[in-house]
Amino acid sequence: MAVYKRRYDPYRGRLTERWRRWSVLTRFALRELFASRFFLGFFLACWIPVLAFSGYVFVANSEVVRSLLSLASRTLQLRVEASFFIRATQIQGFFAFLLATWAGPALVAGDLTNGALPLFLSRPFRRGEYVFGKFAVLGILLSSITWIPALGLFFLEAGLSPEPWLGAHRWLLAPIVWSSLVWVVLLGMVALAASAWVRWRIVAMGAIFGLFLIPAGLGAVLNATLGTKWGQLLDLTYLFHEVVNAGFRESASFGPAVPLWAAWGTLALVSAAALELVLKRLRAFDVVRG
Amino acid sequence: MPATIELSGLEVHLGGRKILHGLNATLDSRAIGLLGPNGAGKSTLILTLLGFHRPSGGTARVLGLDIQAQSGSLRPLVGYMPENDAFIARMSGIRFVRYFGEISGLPAAVALERAHQTFVWIGLGEARYRALGTYSQGMKQLAKLAQAIVHGPRLLILDEPTNGLDPAGRKRLVGLIREIRDTTDAHLLISSHLLHDVEETCDEVLILREGRVAGTCNLAEERRANRQILELELAGAGRGPAGSEPPSADAEFRATLETLGCACAASGRGRWKVTLPAGLGVREVYRAASELGVLIERLSHRRDSLEDIFMNAMDQAR
Repeated sequence: MAVYKRRYDPYRGRLTERWRRWSVLTRFALRELFASRFFLGFFLACWIPVLAFSGYVFVANSEVVRSLLSLASRTLQLRVEASFFIRATQIQGFFAFLLATWAGPALVAGDLTNGALPLFLSRPFRRGEYVFGKFAVLGILLSSITWIPALGLFFLEAGLSPEPWLGAHRWLLAPIVWSSLVWVVLLGMVALAASAWVRWRIVAMGAIFGLFLIPAGLGAVLNATLGTKWGQLLDLTYLFHEVVNAGFRESASFGPAVPLWAAWGTLALVSAAALELVLKRLRAFDVVRG
Repeated sequence: MPATIELSGLEVHLGGRKILHGLNATLDSRAIGLLGPNGAGKSTLILTLLGFHRPSGGTARVLGLDIQAQSGSLRPLVGYMPENDAFIARMSGIRFVRYFGEISGLPAAVALERAHQTFVWIGLGEARYRALGTYSQGMKQLAKLAQAIVHGPRLLILDEPTNGLDPAGRKRLVGLIREIRDTTDAHLLISSHLLHDVEETCDEVLILREGRVAGTCNLAEERRANRQILELELAGAGRGPAGSEPPSADAEFRATLETLGCACAASGRGRWKVTLPAGLGVREVYRAASELGVLIERLSHRRDSLEDIFMNAMDQAR
């Protein structure tokens, strides 16, 4: 088939497998995001803490470097333990929040604004595949700055450590992955919901910030006025930190603790509610009742 | 060979109201027109065939596939151009068409090639790298057509394709639709309230009124039959206002014509439309009038237009 032939030709060739067509959405969206230099710069900036953590691991395992930097090993204990990965997960979690707030709002809104949704749904393409394809954009972006580099740090330490570190710390692999995944799913779903319901990007960004900040403040007020600890359930960042701490077998260093099941339950509930909001909005046509 | 569209008692309720009332029709032409005034249920029928609305009763088959039970097999065969705006403003035209080509299952390289080819074919080759948000209304309509055909569907559903187009744009789009009809084996379902567009592009029409089938007509057969239609205007004293009983001579004349095999329809104040059967000439009409003393003031030949068929269907459905 050639472009210069000015005619319409039917297509009877091979088709791609249906199960992987969601990846078209992901690929196009990622390419569009990285076409922006500002976004690319921001994404690279999210890796700066990872480089700093890598440097820490390197210094912690190199006597030569420590002596060159005049760091006396007796006075300064540089250890790569659970607390190190908690700190790495929390800091990268913050950057993941900023990245989701930047990249999320345009993902669905762009398709809804000018009624493009029927074009997707009239094809052999389901709402679930649409949501998965869009969620995968955030899933890939956020994973690439959270648990994937954290795994890199883990194996860097395993490789550099002169002691048999890997055997004693193998259990860290699971919390490194799933504690970040919890955050990725929550942020991804909330960002998609904001994108589906708010047409203007800046307002959607504000809505995401608001969801994390306003209930947290309200929770603090509830705790102070009612003398309870359950207000913490409104603070999603706190709940994430609690889940991370529990995963790494460390006790929370701040605030009154809510039961772990309540923290998990709230995070799951918010993610499910956000997914429901996205699905509710993704209809080919609205039916006016009456 | 299965019918293109087969409706068996199709009913659809939306928002607590019955929108489609037990539609029955079998349409097997290559290009089918869906006609009806606003609110007749044309778009609802299209959306139901696409699987967006669930029938509350009856069934429908498209290209022999049940719209509910076999929607997974049906959707890859369909290309859909919606009535309303449907585009992604920030995407360039070529990227938009390629995107939907890939979602329809075309491999990436094929989708890109076909997107270029389709854009050149619809006449937007020069504008393909511009963002869709900057396109004029006519260009957006063409881009919608491009995304509907990029994957080479077997059935192309066009909902009000010429909406909002200027005469030149309309002519261009109608020309493209006719080219698809004439040069490929694709089937077309075109919904429009513009009779002229449907007449130019379709072989068969389904006429809807208030969610019911008001009539069907095989335009291709009508064209082939090339029946003679006469418009008569009779003169004579005592003719009453429109709707009143015709004078007895006129009634006799009508009865005579019907005996000769003509179909007669009065269109008010002594004006009649008479469809002659094959082999009957105008001379016989004059002879019958002369024998009954009926004076024909004016007689003109015409072919039955879609407008007549449509208006007849509307009248009969009332």
